[in-house]
Amino acid sequence: MELFTPDFGLVFWMFIAFIVLFFVLAKWGWPVIIKMMDQRAGTIDQGVEDARKAKEQLDNARAEAQKYVKEAQARQAEMLREAAKMKSDIIEEARAEAKKAAQKEMDAARQAIDQARKEAELQFRSEVGRFSVDIAEKMVRAQLSNDKAQTELVNKLLDEIEKN
Amino acid sequence: MSNNSNKLMSSLGTGLGRKVLVFLLMFLLVAPMADASGHGDEEEGFDVKEIIFEHLGDGYGWEVPFAHVYRIPLPVIVRAEDGKWFCFSSGDLTEVVVTRDDATGKESKHLVPVVKTITRDGKDYRFVIAHVSSHKDKLVEIFEPTADQQKEISEALAADKENGEHPVVDGYVFVNGKYYREYRPFDISITKNVAALFIVVILVTAMVMSLVSYYRRRGLRAPRKGMGFFEMLVGFIYYDTIKATLGPATKRFAPYLLTAFFFILVMNLVGLIVIFPGGANLTGNIAVTLVLALCTFIITNVTGTKHYWKEIFWPDVPLFLKFPLPIMQVIEIFGIFTKPAALCVRLFANMMGGHIIVITLTLLIFIFAAFGAAVTGTATVVSVLFSIFMLLLDVLVSFIQAYVFTLLSAIFISMSQLHEEEHHAKEDKGNPELEAKDQEAIAEDKQRLENVAAEVDIK
Repeated sequence: MELFTPDFGLVFWMFIAFIVLFFVLAKWGWPVIIKMMDQRAGTIDQGVEDARKAKEQLDNARAEAQKYVKEAQARQAEMLREAAKMKSDIIEEARAEAKKAAQKEMDAARQAIDQARKEAELQFRSEVGRFSVDIAEKMVRAQLSNDKAQTELVNKLLDEIEKN
Repeated sequence: MSNNSNKLMSSLGTGLGRKVLVFLLMFLLVAPMADASGHGDEEEGFDVKEIIFEHLGDGYGWEVPFAHVYRIPLPVIVRAEDGKWFCFSSGDLTEVVVTRDDATGKESKHLVPVVKTITRDGKDYRFVIAHVSSHKDKLVEIFEPTADQQKEISEALAADKENGEHPVVDGYVFVNGKYYREYRPFDISITKNVAALFIVVILVTAMVMSLVSYYRRRGLRAPRKGMGFFEMLVGFIYYDTIKATLGPATKRFAPYLLTAFFFILVMNLVGLIVIFPGGANLTGNIAVTLVLALCTFIITNVTGTKHYWKEIFWPDVPLFLKFPLPIMQVIEIFGIFTKPAALCVRLFANMMGGHIIVITLTLLIFIFAAFGAAVTGTATVVSVLFSIFMLLLDVLVSFIQAYVFTLLSAIFISMSQLHEEEHHAKEDKGNPELEAKDQEAIAEDKQRLENVAAEVDIK
C-alpha cells in the first residue's frame, strides 16, 4: 500500500522542483527555442520562395535571350536574301546595259555597212552606166557606119516610142 | 550473488546499445552463478516482494553502484514533535554490520538501522528508520513509552498471536528488542527520489539551455546529432501535438506542456538506468505523477473559459437530463476530477509496471537457482533476454507515456479553452454551409479525442 500513498516530502519537493524548472524554462528556454525554430522555418520558406523566383527569372531571361537570338537570325536571313537579290539585280541590270550597248554598236555597224553598201551600189551603178554608155557608143559607132543600118535604127526607135 | 545481480542489472541498463557485449557477459555470468547456487544463500532465502518494493520505493540514502549495502548519504530534514527542525546526514541512520558465518568462513554484510540521537537544549531527540512499524522504511521519532502506553502494547501483543514474535502495533515501533512510541515527523528530507528529481531538473535545464546557447552562437543554423534530436522532439511536441491541439492558445500553454513532456521523459529514461545517477523510480511514484496531474488540473480549471463552465453546469443536452435532477452536472463535475486522476494513475501504473516486470524477470534467475546448474543457466539466458526486451520496450513506453501525458493535458486544456466550434455552431445556425463546416469540425474533434482514448486504452 505504501506505493499508493503519496509521500508528503516528495510531493513538496516535486512541486518546488517542477515550478522552478517551469519558470526557468518558460522564461529563458522555450520562447527562445520556439522563436528560433519559427524563424528558421520562415527563413527556409523564404529561401524556397526566393529560389523559385530566381529560377523563374532565369527562365524568363533565357526565353528572352532565345527570342533575341531568333530575331537576329531572322534579320540575318533577311539581309542575306536581300543581298542575294541585289546581286542578281545588279547582274541583270549590267547584262541589260551590256545588251543595249551591244545592240547599239551592232545597229551602228549595220548602218555603216548599209551606208557603205549603198555608196558602193551607187558607185557601181554609175560605173555600170558609164561602162554601158561606153559600150553602147562603141557599138553604135560600129553599126552606124552605113546608111541602111541608120534608117533601120531610126525606125525601130520610132516604133518604140509609138508603143509607149 | 547480489553483487552479480548488480552487475547484471547494470549491464542491462547501460548496455542497451551493446547487445553483443551483454550476450557475451551473459554466458560468462551463467557459470559462476550456477556455481554460487550450489553453496546456497538459500537458507537465508530472499523475499521477492521485499526486493521488488525496495527497488521501486524511496530511500534515505542512495545505493553506491555495485556495493549493495553501502549508501550515498543524503540530507534528512525533519520537524520533531515539539516543532524543532533537524537536519542531519542519512549516513547516521544506518550502519553496515559484517557477520561471519563460522561454518563456511564467509563474511556477509548487512545494512542495519541505528538510532540517531541529537541532544539540543538538554533534550534528547531520537530518530530511526522504522522497520516493524506501520511507517515501514520511514523515519520516525521515538519516545520511551509511558506506563499506560506500555500496558496498551502488552494488550495488543496479547491479542495478536498470528503475526510472529514482534507484530506491528499501531502507533509503536519495534527497535532493538523494544517497543517505543513513534511519531512520524514532518519529513522533507532529500531522499533518493528527491535527489534524482534535482538531477533530472538539472539535466532538463542543461538540455534546453545548451540548445539556447547553441542558437546564441550559431544563429539559425540547424543543430546536429544529439541537439538536433532534441530540437526535433521539441518541434514534434510543439508543432504536431500542442499547436495542433490548442490552436490559438498555443503560446500561453506551450511552456507548461513542453516542460512537462521533457521532465517526464527524462524522469522515465533516468529511471531505467540501474545505477547511481539513475535508478530512482520517479514516474513510477504516485507523488510525482500526482503533482504533475495536479498542475494540469489547476491550469485547466483556473484558465477555463465561460463556455467551459457553462458546458459543465448547463450542457447542451435535453432538459430532463439536467433539470430537475442534475444528472449531467454530477457527471461533468465528476469528470473534472477523473481526468487528471486518470493522467496521474496512467503514468504511475505504466512506469511502475515496467519496473516490476524487469525486476521480476531478473529475480527469476535467483528463484530458479534452487533447481541446480542447468536450470539456472537456462533461466539466466532466458531472463536476461526477456529483461533486455522489456527494457527496450520500457524505453519506448517512456516516450509514449510522456507523449500521452502531454497530449492528454493539451486536450484537457484545449477543452477548457475553446468550445469555439460549438459556440460558432449556434451562431451559424441558419447558414447551412457554415453549420455543416462546424459540425464537421466538431465531429473531427470528437474523432480525435476518441482515437486518443482508444490508443490509451490499448496501452
